[in-house]
This record gives sequence, structure tokens and C-alpha cells, in this order.
Amino acid sequence: MTNVQWAMVIYQLRIHFRMGEMKGIQKILINQIDLSDETFSVNYLPDLHRLRSSIEQIGMMQPVFLRKKLGGYQIVCGFRRISVMKELEKSEIESRVFEDKEMDEFHLFSLSLQENLTTRGFNVVEEAIALEKLIHYFQIHPDTVIHTFLPLFSLETNEKILNTYLSLAQMEDEVKTYVLKEGVSRSNIRRLSGLTSEDRIAVLSLVSPLKLGENRLREALTFLEEISQRDQCSVREIVRRPEIQGILFQKELTPIQKAERVKKVLKAHRYPRIHQLEEAFEKRKKNLNLPSHLSLHHQPFFEGRGLTVEFQFETMEEYRTILSFLSNLVDREEFREILRSS
Amino acid sequence: MLPFRIEKIYLDEKAEKDPVSQTILKALPNIPIETIRDKRALIKRFSSKPDPIGIGKKHLFLTHFYGRHLKPCPGTSNHICCGYHVINAITNCPLDCSYCVLQGYLNNPFLTLYTNWQDLLQEIDAFLSTDCQSLLRLGTGELSDSLALESIFPLSQMLIPFFTERHNAILELKTKSANVNSLLHLNHWGKTVVSWSLNPPQIIEEEEKGTAPLKERIEAARRCQEKGYPLGFHFDPIIYHEGWEKGYRETILQLFKQIDPKRVVWISLGGFRYPPKLKAIAEERFPKTKVFLGELFPGKDSKFRYLKEIRVKMYQKMAEWLREVDPDLFIYLCMESKEVWERVFGWNPENNRHLNQMFEKRVRKFLDG
Repeated sequence: MTNVQWAMVIYQLRIHFRMGEMKGIQKILINQIDLSDETFSVNYLPDLHRLRSSIEQIGMMQPVFLRKKLGGYQIVCGFRRISVMKELEKSEIESRVFEDKEMDEFHLFSLSLQENLTTRGFNVVEEAIALEKLIHYFQIHPDTVIHTFLPLFSLETNEKILNTYLSLAQMEDEVKTYVLKEGVSRSNIRRLSGLTSEDRIAVLSLVSPLKLGENRLREALTFLEEISQRDQCSVREIVRRPEIQGILFQKELTPIQKAERVKKVLKAHRYPRIHQLEEAFEKRKKNLNLPSHLSLHHQPFFEGRGLTVEFQFETMEEYRTILSFLSNLVDREEFREILRSS
Repeated sequence: MLPFRIEKIYLDEKAEKDPVSQTILKALPNIPIETIRDKRALIKRFSSKPDPIGIGKKHLFLTHFYGRHLKPCPGTSNHICCGYHVINAITNCPLDCSYCVLQGYLNNPFLTLYTNWQDLLQEIDAFLSTDCQSLLRLGTGELSDSLALESIFPLSQMLIPFFTERHNAILELKTKSANVNSLLHLNHWGKTVVSWSLNPPQIIEEEEKGTAPLKERIEAARRCQEKGYPLGFHFDPIIYHEGWEKGYRETILQLFKQIDPKRVVWISLGGFRYPPKLKAIAEERFPKTKVFLGELFPGKDSKFRYLKEIRVKMYQKMAEWLREVDPDLFIYLCMESKEVWERVFGWNPENNRHLNQMFEKRVRKFLDG
């Protein structure tokens, strides 16, 4: 389908819609509507609370769209409203009813997308479900989906974006929920999509309780992926290691503390040699018994030679004490060793 | 037959009448051609496609180069560099190494051949006439592979005779291919070094897509040796991987079974290094690449390198194995710090100029010998 053809679809929908208005709105019994038919639904974790209170206060402002089918009606647009009306024990609902052959399924789906876009919008998982339905159920060519439907969701028109959303649509419900609730970025969705289903579930058990921000999540996923690739083991095997599970089960730690410790463990696995150098440096430094206002640093990533000394003082007395300590370091073998090894 | 596929040729209307363009079009019959007026629009058209870099390798762009054809090798800040000069006559490369820095370096994704050769030669001449005392090293292998496109764009066949008449310069053709047939009949007078970038077969297979296998590279080097070409070898990038010692040692042994070390003018060693933005690009294009799995950290020039002690160990071992072959081999480090030089060789060049002078001395001795 080209953009011109898509414009035609929109035009036809407008004509239909106007004719529908002319035909008028009907009241349909809710028990005649097949709530299990989700052909046109892209709902994922809809927030019904606000909708419910709105309907309770002022009633339904727009009719739902239904299509006649054998023995009842299929929902085209208005899944959430019908669900709320049913919860509120209403028996009937104002509806615009399409005849069985009035419009084909793809046109009805397009109508549903357009209608929802102008009212509530979609969350990221719903966008993924919509794109997935366009490709796999309605068999729309990927190029058309990229150039016609991605802009509907204000997404950039390229294959990488489409593939990211299609991969999200295929993920497990708990992962989708995590993506939605934590606002996971597209780059991290892509990282998750590179994992097997079992690995994704294992990762979720790790990252979910840690309440990671985007950068921390990216860092954790990258560490896990790279360790797994290097050591030729699965991501879930890494997650299940006792040193990681031990941190997750420490009840006295806050999520931030747990996240910090898990990061440290993963980093040590990912970069074992620099971890050893860091540990050896810290051990030697500890042996120096540095005063609290004085710190000693090696060069970043041990790339250059030499050490950096940093100190802080408020009085001349403190200043004198620090200088005296520094001056005495010259004669200490531990200090010479730390300088030699840095 | 080309070892890679060209799907389309974009011909800049300004390059249409160049003899070089005509030669290329004759060498590639039956390939669709599109005449281009606006280069920027062409690049923009491709930049939104998935994998523009991969697509660019299958699309030739024939155009003029309007900037400086000849530039000092950009090298890197805070490290010792060798004073090399880069000839820009081709940008991009039909070979597809996972670690290739060009993936994040070039704005134009096309395999671009600059057909205004007369401008290039004039510029080289003008440059060489400014410094008649030094012995300058120039090469085409920085922004592309020097020989991979030789069958359609015979630049080296034009440059080799050109350099025979330049007393103060030497040309280096750096490649991962085995395309040397067209070089063998040329008179070079020792003024062209043909050099190969080498890695163990496992790395070639996994990370250097489209390149010649090690055996073929060595065989091509042997054929050039027979024709009297000075040879160069670049163990760059050295990739730290499981079994690296065995892999590199066997590569060195295999090389010198066929190559006379006395015919080797220089050997470089360079650990894998990359600018920060390369990783994301390369991992997307090569999801199975293992090159980023080492312990690589940003240095003073912002490029990521292996942890210093890992690099030093690799260079020490490589130098040791090479010295076992011939203690007189001229070995240098590419884009390394003075400290690393010191730890590997027990001395270090004072600065870039010093290293450049050492090269000059080495090349003169080699040419005289």
C-alpha cells in the first residue's frame, strides 16, 4: 500500500463515518457483544479508573463502534468503555453498528486506531501490538507499516524502529508490563529482545526489584550479555549465581544498595583483571592507614603512571598534620610498593 | 571476477567524462548507473536505510575529490605516531571487518572512487617538492584497502610507476586481499612497499568478512617478494582472545616459512582500539562479534584500548617471537604511549619526529641495502 492508497483508506473511512452519523446511533444490549473477540483490540493494561469515574459522573460521550457478526456483535472500537459499562452493570450501550460486509477488517482496524489516537492515545506496548497485528494478522507490507503507520504513533520511519516494536509485541507479558511501568527505552527493549525467553524472565527477576533507571538497566544488560557471550554460558546462569542471588535476598538492603552491589559483582565478572588491580591497590592503600581527609588515586584505568593525592583541611594544624603524614610516607615500604605498582 | 558484489553505480555528472570513470564503467558492464547531481541528497537518501554502511559497500560512487588528497595520518593525541601521510583516492572498503573504524568515521557510506587522478598526482608532486630532504611515507590504505578494488580502479598500477621517479618518497599499499597479479609486471624500483594486515585464521574467519584467508595473503606476499617488492606487515589490530598466544605465534611462524625477513622493511604492532561510537555501530552490524569482549577502557585520546598490562604483555610476546625469527626486524608500535614503548622495547621515541626519523633511516638503509 502506498501513501496515496492509505489516503484513500482514510477518505473512505471519513465517508463511511459520515454515513454512519446519518444512519444514527443504536442502543445495543451489552450481553449481545462478544467481549472475547479481540480482533481489533490493542489494549494492554488499560487504566480504567479514570474512565470509570468519568462515565459514572457524566456518562458516555461517544458511541462505541461494533460490527454485526453471527449471533451478536464484535467490538471495533470501545473495548475499555464496554468493559466499564459492564462493570457498572449497565445493560445497553450507545453504538455505531457496522453491517457484516460494510467494511473489511483492515479498514475497521484502521478506523479503530484513528479513533483511539484522537481520544486516548496508546502506550508503548499497545503500539507494539498494533504494529504486530498490521504485519502478521492484516499482512500489511513492512514498508507500508514503516511509512504509513509509524508516523501515526509519532515514531521515526525506519525498519529498526519497527523491528524493536515487533520484538516487544512478542515478549512475555511480565516483560511487557515491566517495559511499560518502568518506561524502558527502545535501546534497552532491543537489548531485551536479543535474549531468549528464559533469559529475559531471569533478567526480570534481577532488575525488577532493583528499580534501575535507564542507564543502570543498560549497564546491567550489557554486562550480562557480554559475560554470557565471553564465557559461553546463558544469562540465566549468571543471574542464578549465588553471589547475585545472595544480594537479592538480603532484606536489610534498600533497592539502591542492592543495585550498587549487583553492579559491583557483574563488573568484577566482566572486567576481572582490572578488578584484581583495583583490589590490590585498595589493599595496599588500606595498609597506609591514610587520615580521613587524605585520599590517594591511581591513574584512570591504570593507563598512565603515577598517583594523585588529594587532601582537604580547615585549619593550619590539619594542614601541618597532613603534610607531615605525606612526608613520612616517603620512608614507608608500603608506599613505595604502591607507587611501583601503579 | 570481483570477490564482492556491486549492485549499482552512482556517477557524479562532473566525473562522467573522466577516462578513469570510463575505465571503471567498462570493467563493470550490466550494472545499473544513475547520474548524480547532488551528492548530499544521495547520501541523505541512504542514511535512513537500515545498515547504510553495508549497503554502501555494494554501491559505487564515482566522483571528484575537492579537498586535499593528501593528509598527514590523523594519528591520535597523547600517543606516539609515525608521521605517515594518507592518500585519499578511495574512501570506504568492499571488505567488511567487524572492528573497522571507518564504520563510525565516514559520513558518506558509499564505496567512493575519486576519478580526478591528475589533481591527485599534481598534489602529491607539489607536496613532495616542499621537502626534498626527508624520505616521506605515503599510503592509500587508511581510508580503504589499497588493493581490494584494483581490478576496477587500477590506482596502484598508476601510483607505482609514479613513485619510481620520486626520490624523496615511498609508497605503501596496505591490504587484506591477495590481489597482486596486476602489480607483478610493474617496475617499482623498490619504491613501493606492499604490506599486509595479518591476524590468526580464527580472527580472519570470525571478524574479517570478505578478506583473503591468511594462507592467500602470505602467498601473495611471497609473489611480491619474488618480484623484489619491499614488504611490510601489520599485526594490527591485535585481538586478545582465548588462545591468542598460540594463534599469533603460529601466524608468525607460518609467515616466515615463506617470507624472507630481510625483505621486510617494517612490522607494526597495534592492539585493538576504537573510538567510543564504534561499538554500538559494529555490534548492530555484527551481532556475533567478540572483539569488544576484552577489557577495553578509554585512554587519554578517548579511544578504548585493552588494559595497559594486557597490551604490554601482547606486544612483548609478539616482539619476542618476531625477534626469534630475525633480531634485525624493524618493529614499531602504532598509536601507543611512551610508557608502553618503554616497557616493550626498553626505550621509547622522544616524540613523533624522532620515530619518523627512525623510519627514514630504516627505509634508506633498506633501499641502499
